[in-house]
Amino acid sequence: MVADVLRPHGPKFALVAALQVMGAVAGLAPLLAVAELGRVLLSPGPPDRAHVWTVVLAGAAGLLVRLVFTGASAGLGHVLDGEVQLGLRRELAATLGRAPIGWFGRRRSGELARVAGEDVDAVHPFIAHAPGELTAAFVVPLVSLVYLLGVDWRLTLITLVPVLVAVALVPLLMLPARVREQHAYDAAMGRIAAAVVEFVQGIAVVKAFGGAGRAHRRFVAAADEFTEVFTRWVRGVSAVAAGMQLALSPPVVLLAVLTGGTIRITSGGLAPADLLPFLLLGLGLTAPVAALGHGFDDLQAAGRAVGRIRAVLATPPLPEPERPVLPDGDRVELRGVRFAYDDGPEVLRGVDLVLEPGTVTALTGPSGGGKSTLVRLLPRFFDPAGGAVLLGGADLRDIGSRELYRRIAFVFQDVRLLRASVADNIALAVPHASFDDVVRAARLAHIHDRILRLPHGYDTVLGEQATLSGGEAQRIALARALIADTPVLVLDEATAFADPLTDRAIRDTLAGLRGRTVLVIAHRPETIAAADAVVRLENGVIR
Amino acid sequence: MIRTLLRAGGAAYAVPIALMTAAAFLEGLLYALIVPILKDPAAAWPWLLGFAAAVAALGVLRYAADLSGMRVGTTLLRGMYHRLGDHLARLPLGWYDRARVGEVSGLAGRGLLAALGVSAHLLGPFIAACVTPLTIVVVITAYDWRLGLAALAAAPLVLLAVRKRPAGDGHAEVGDEAAARVVEFLQAQPVLRAGGRTGERFALLDDALRDLERASRRRALSVLPGAVGMAFTVQTAFTAVLALGAYLALGGHLGVAELLAILVLAARAADPLLSLTDIGGRLRAARTELERLDRLLDTPLLPETGHPVRPDRDDLEFDGVSFRGLTGLSLSVPQGQRLAVVGPSGAGKTTLLQLIARFHDVGEGTVRLGGVDVRDIAPDELMSRIAIVFQDTYLFDGTIEENVRLGRPEATDAEVRAVSTAARLPSGWDTTVGEGGARLSGGERQRVSIARALLKDAPIVLLDEVTSALDPENEAAVHDGIERLMAGRTVVMVAHRMGTVRRADRIVFLDEGRIVEDGTHEELSALGGRYAEFCATTPATR
Repeated sequence: MVADVLRPHGPKFALVAALQVMGAVAGLAPLLAVAELGRVLLSPGPPDRAHVWTVVLAGAAGLLVRLVFTGASAGLGHVLDGEVQLGLRRELAATLGRAPIGWFGRRRSGELARVAGEDVDAVHPFIAHAPGELTAAFVVPLVSLVYLLGVDWRLTLITLVPVLVAVALVPLLMLPARVREQHAYDAAMGRIAAAVVEFVQGIAVVKAFGGAGRAHRRFVAAADEFTEVFTRWVRGVSAVAAGMQLALSPPVVLLAVLTGGTIRITSGGLAPADLLPFLLLGLGLTAPVAALGHGFDDLQAAGRAVGRIRAVLATPPLPEPERPVLPDGDRVELRGVRFAYDDGPEVLRGVDLVLEPGTVTALTGPSGGGKSTLVRLLPRFFDPAGGAVLLGGADLRDIGSRELYRRIAFVFQDVRLLRASVADNIALAVPHASFDDVVRAARLAHIHDRILRLPHGYDTVLGEQATLSGGEAQRIALARALIADTPVLVLDEATAFADPLTDRAIRDTLAGLRGRTVLVIAHRPETIAAADAVVRLENGVIR
Repeated sequence: MIRTLLRAGGAAYAVPIALMTAAAFLEGLLYALIVPILKDPAAAWPWLLGFAAAVAALGVLRYAADLSGMRVGTTLLRGMYHRLGDHLARLPLGWYDRARVGEVSGLAGRGLLAALGVSAHLLGPFIAACVTPLTIVVVITAYDWRLGLAALAAAPLVLLAVRKRPAGDGHAEVGDEAAARVVEFLQAQPVLRAGGRTGERFALLDDALRDLERASRRRALSVLPGAVGMAFTVQTAFTAVLALGAYLALGGHLGVAELLAILVLAARAADPLLSLTDIGGRLRAARTELERLDRLLDTPLLPETGHPVRPDRDDLEFDGVSFRGLTGLSLSVPQGQRLAVVGPSGAGKTTLLQLIARFHDVGEGTVRLGGVDVRDIAPDELMSRIAIVFQDTYLFDGTIEENVRLGRPEATDAEVRAVSTAARLPSGWDTTVGEGGARLSGGERQRVSIARALLKDAPIVLLDEVTSALDPENEAAVHDGIERLMAGRTVVMVAHRMGTVRRADRIVFLDEGRIVEDGTHEELSALGGRYAEFCATTPATR
């Protein structure tokens, strides 16, 4: 799925890589120019002036080509990076838009937002840097190697000694102890993140009950543990890493070349001028190993990020029926419905319930009795594990989601308002609703007058130009459900946090909804009294 | 950058910076030995030995610098975590809101690691990329001042390219906007589905994503001139040295071996400079994080009085208080009495409660406890006198018992069990509650928080719509607990349920930050005003 996003950009990736490689190879020209200059100047007899200036010009031209090509490659690579990231984010949004609603309950929005945000960002080195720079890091040394082998193969081998030493050290970084430390590091980092979230979210409680208490200690303990793990990890790796770095550093490579070169020259096997290309190009031979070491952390992080992105993209969408059935009427029926969250205990243990069209059914029972779960099965947040929920005689699973949501609206406890205008918030489920429809729904939900008092009325952007209280937000949610004008309406503890106005709005609305099928989780005696049927749910069964 | 670091880490950075500078300087000097080695290979051995010794010294010096940088970084990290923790614990509660969680946790993770990363991974290369080329240019000048000057001519331009700040500092904000839209999109899924908008592109989110792409494109392109400018400058300087050297050598003004050695040196100077743009960019990113951290640590705390006063009573008084919608509010609650605050949502009821516990400091007027301005009471003393039961209760991931015990950590087991029974806590004493108490229902969380307040046994009790989240059965279950909690204490409660309100000694009806009606239930009912209307629309459940 990640590949699907990348594929259309294939030619551009190739172009980025090609430009980068050409630029990098052109970058060898000035070094070769110096080597050639040495040959000309050290050759016996008076130097060939014209040749010298040609060589200097060739070097300068190589630099210019390098500048233009690598610049173009970097620019193009980053633009491409932006396009790919946009594609990935759109694909993620589309996948999440198709996932079953219940799936979200098991994940935190913050976590998913991090996948679409930071994780997609972390892919950057894969896209903007890997194709060009990694290719160049292998092609350029290869070209140099071929050239140097042509000059003197013995000295070439000597030049490679530091690279071999560095490669020999790599296994030491992969020892089980190192891997364990790496895992401990990741885990400690995770604990810090968890501790700080707990600290900030629980701060009111912490402070209300006696100073900087327990969450603070937990945060500090997590921080101390992290620094300790980090130190241990660094100590384990640092000697080896420093050794590798030193082996690949220019002074060591130069030492090898100079030593080998002096031996070869004094034994007469090498012309002094031929030592120059080794001093200039030999250093570049370490590039592949250095590139792997240098970009490795980033690439590993990118790899982990891609893993998380793929996991989200692999979310199976809520199954849609192949041949959708049209429900016949608006009678809702639950037949032997059983349900459990993941591996948890059964929350619903064989519920049979019929909601007749045009009636209000009040659902009561102790908290934890399964009321919230039951009402969430109607808009198909979850599918029952056993039994079936039927609407107009058709299993919900056989009704297309479009048709289902045309018939069922709901107001649940946690109301989410968008940072958008009030009108847009109300019309969220019915994007083509007219302004009159919006106002009518707002009036029904007893929120119209409050909206008129906002700075820009229905055009007020919520969360930016005005903030609504909990009760007001719930009335907006009620307006949302009413504007959809569905034959079935489900309300969950909608009055729980509500002030008297919201309370009245909901009761008025329920009373005025004759002709619809309504299921309401009721707490108020007056709501229960006004209902056509009262059902008590306790321990997952109807009593 | 280094200044920012020094401010954060103090003088501790002096040692690693000195070691890193010494190593970079040594590397530059070391290359000077190439000239005599190339000049006469036959007499090169002593020079080569010197070169080898210098390389060994360089290795030791670098390793010492690495370790010391790492050690300082870790110490700094630890110190920063502690400072951050202390500061967060002392910030006014009013500072915290929903958005803060993301901001603070981002900083604690990414931000602090960036600070550490600078000293561990970036500082060394940065110093090397500056000092080594400069040393090499000095060495070149020592061999031939003309070529040295030619190389040095590039220095001002290099400096210019390094200091050039790319545009796109607003990138983080655009990213935050996109992240916020993603969260919205996720949370609005049920409603969006209801409109049959499954999988369809959601305009608000898509706009934010496109903005993000445009911003990152702008940023990428704005970095290019600096990078290209640097490459151009360095390469031009190299070409100048090459051309001038060729000219001098052809004219016999410079030995061929010297020229070639100097060109090798020049190539050594050019490479690190080219990496400077990359390092510079990463340093800037780290600095942005450090600055955000600095801003957080600079957030003013509530001023603490130098001469704390201990109130000797537990009555409450608001005297002409104006703050966030409350306008010139005055009222008093005698010790041991119950005040109920009712009114429409948005009237300022919760703000009133928060001012007593000093979540914020008032803009105008005074809030007094036992006749003493709350600002003149030591924070710990103030908090020890108040027990709060919030509308939405946060529980820490742990057992129910641990969460109750938070009310008074030194309480005996018997005491903890007694309050738990009084609050009718759910069975399963050792049940873990999950992050934020997610494994308990709203009613169960509320009961834990009431038990916690009971255990605290404070003389003043603040209740914020305690029973509103409860269904009738839960309400009955906690009713006794609440009654016990209120008995003999000074109580301020925000309530919707008339049952609890009715029994208050005094009721104020708050609307748009003002008290519009004030009296007992009987008086206000007889008045036939807002409160009476409120009662009529909200019959008592008990």
